[in-house]
Amino acid sequence: MALVRYLAFRVVNALVILFFVLLITAVMMNQYLEDQIRAEIRERIAQEVYRNPRYATYTPEEKDRLAANLTLRYEQIYGLDQPYVVRVLYRTVDAMMFDFGNALVLKSSTGSPVVSDIIIEAIPRTVLLFTTGTIITIVVGILLGIKAATRVGSFLDRAISTFAMFTYSLPMWWVGMIFIFYFAILLKIFPSGGMVSIPPPEDPVAYAMDVLYHLTLPLIVFVFVNFGGWSYATRSIVLNVLTEDFVNTARAKGVPERRILYGHVLRTASPPIVTSTTLAILGSIGGAIITEAVFNWPGLGRLFYQAILNGDMPVVIGLTYISTFLYVFAILALDFIYALLDPRIKVGFGGGR
Amino acid sequence: MYGMGIKDVVREFLRFRGGIVGIFLLLIIVGMALGAPLISDEEAGNRWYDLEYWVEKDLPKGVPPAWVGVFEGRSYSVTERFPGQIPETNRFILRTNITYNMKYDVPPSDVVIRVRIAEEANISATTTYFVRLNVYRPDGTVIERVLDLETVNRDLKISLKSEDRSRNAIISFMKDFDEEGYERIINQGLTEVIDVIYILFSQTGEGALLERTEPLKGIYTFELEIIRTDINLELDSLELLAMGAAHGVFGTDTNGRDIFVGIVWGARVALILGLIVAIVSVLIGVLYGTVSAYLGGWVDEILQRIQEFAISIPLLPLLLILAFYFKPTIWNLILLLIVFSWPGPVKTIRSMALQIREQLYITAAKAVGASTGRIVLRYIFPQILPYTFALVAFAVPGAILTEAGVSFLLGAQGVLEITWGRILSDAQDASAVLTGMWWWVLPPGFMIAISGLAFVLIGTALDRVLNPRLLR
Repeated sequence: MALVRYLAFRVVNALVILFFVLLITAVMMNQYLEDQIRAEIRERIAQEVYRNPRYATYTPEEKDRLAANLTLRYEQIYGLDQPYVVRVLYRTVDAMMFDFGNALVLKSSTGSPVVSDIIIEAIPRTVLLFTTGTIITIVVGILLGIKAATRVGSFLDRAISTFAMFTYSLPMWWVGMIFIFYFAILLKIFPSGGMVSIPPPEDPVAYAMDVLYHLTLPLIVFVFVNFGGWSYATRSIVLNVLTEDFVNTARAKGVPERRILYGHVLRTASPPIVTSTTLAILGSIGGAIITEAVFNWPGLGRLFYQAILNGDMPVVIGLTYISTFLYVFAILALDFIYALLDPRIKVGFGGGR
Repeated sequence: MYGMGIKDVVREFLRFRGGIVGIFLLLIIVGMALGAPLISDEEAGNRWYDLEYWVEKDLPKGVPPAWVGVFEGRSYSVTERFPGQIPETNRFILRTNITYNMKYDVPPSDVVIRVRIAEEANISATTTYFVRLNVYRPDGTVIERVLDLETVNRDLKISLKSEDRSRNAIISFMKDFDEEGYERIINQGLTEVIDVIYILFSQTGEGALLERTEPLKGIYTFELEIIRTDINLELDSLELLAMGAAHGVFGTDTNGRDIFVGIVWGARVALILGLIVAIVSVLIGVLYGTVSAYLGGWVDEILQRIQEFAISIPLLPLLLILAFYFKPTIWNLILLLIVFSWPGPVKTIRSMALQIREQLYITAAKAVGASTGRIVLRYIFPQILPYTFALVAFAVPGAILTEAGVSFLLGAQGVLEITWGRILSDAQDASAVLTGMWWWVLPPGFMIAISGLAFVLIGTALDRVLNPRLLR
């Protein structure tokens, strides 16, 4: 029962966080969004009244009156006649239900202006690049980290630590620019950007190969920049566990070193690694704005960049929601995993007392 | 290691080679930031975004650093100015010859002709004059009418590289020697993009238009004619500028800006922003975590919910949205970064403070009646402080990286100061990567990486020296 209460509490907590992040986004973008809608209404009324041959015989006063009436009606349709608080709350609640409305400028590849369509189309592309990259990074990073931890002070160990420190402060998108310059411009072995050739190949197999060809360079950049940090973190965690008393006990008992490592140490070291892995994989779905912009990769990150450039606020709200949602969902998922695995976790106020 | 004196810390710190390297790198960047007016031109730094100022400076545009020639074993031409003799005559045609000794392996990047009309010349505003230019090359060939234009401007500055007339004249001169290349240029629509100045200074023959034949060294004579329509029009000066093919420490961008100036001045924003954001946000986060842990109960619960909310906000998207409302000066950006960075260390600090809270001396302090503020600030905070230094050092690269990212994405809408991210943004806008201008892309990113690395190295060394046992 306590477990159910705990989990219910975490779910409510997650929803509240989501609501507030969306509310803040909606408040911040409200002015801009409504200015855009008002401009659109003005443009439409100019079309329908002032430039409409049907009303050519009307006097200017009559036209103005007609326009004023129409403006009121459009403002009702868009909910602009409601008080500010109501407008913002409506927008937030709609977004919570994944209803982001229509985009102002951007369109999906099928021409749909519905924000959800535009976003759903971009998700698999980002997943293809960043989630694949994250998984490769994690596997390579953890394996190297374990190797380094078992050989402290070796060349491999020191190389990984140095490399991790160097890549910690390396902007991934800049590495992308450098790799594009070297591999795409100088050596000409990879394309300089995009996800498929233009025009895309018709044959599905050729299409897949073409995507793979475009995918390789950004994937290499992603793994190059990130695996060092993973190795270093894994190394530190494993090393910490290796100094615990139970490891000494196991060694004293004569348990083979391999079994100590894989049976005892890794089991103890896994919770923090599981945490980072979950966060990283779910976080990867949000993409990386600048890296996608540099590689011209048509995923969520580049979509966000284009939405900002075009001032397309409904798309911005939608994307902000998606990335917050993923983060909060990841935290929630971790709560669930730990609650199931660790009986000590209890719910209630005064935690940590 | 609680209770170490500053001297012990310094001595311990110096035992780590990484820490020393970090200090060394940091000193270089601090030196750049402080010495910017000394090692580079102060006015150039203040007027980085004033493109007209850079036009006046007459630097070659988009050329590599001066030292590349040493590595390539080729000599790059340098920028040279040749004043033309103004003939004393009362004829309408003023003719002067300017000789240029092209002795380099890499010819100039551009040739600029500059005509200045005397201030006191008693002429009407609409008086025109003609400028004509013939070039006599060392191999005996002549390119006629490289320039032939009429102007009403008092002063004139013509770049042979960008002027249509000169481009076409040079291409049609070489057409007779390379008909095949000429056809390809026409078919592929390359007339606007090929490097005509290279062709002007290269040997005639097949492939001269597209494949780049060897440069033709020797004396070039530029025969310049000014044909005036009013005899009162007097010339103040005539000048020919051979723009170098390489310039300075880091070359120039396509606006003719010296990239070295940008790199040096960019260190200021990176350091100031990185340090302020890291120090303030870590301090807030540490105090917040400590207070939250010490007070416990429902206050702790509420503070933790607020922290979870704050850390869930996607930073970069939000900064981009906010850029719509605030012209992001560096101080605005610093403020925003602090607002969104403080939740980072809270959870770790809170768990440390929870352990300290249970220690006997805290209970004793409480028993004596010490106030909450006193206990938090005087008894718990000092225990956590050493770890804070490492946290600050680790937070700096994140702040610098975020600033670079924001500046890169916002470009001209971004901060008004020179930042490395903005230089990279300009490079990206000018397709520097695709056109091979590596000197524009490498240094800024390298500086971002180096300044981050300096703090990571210092942080790691500090961490090993100061890390209190309770974190192990």
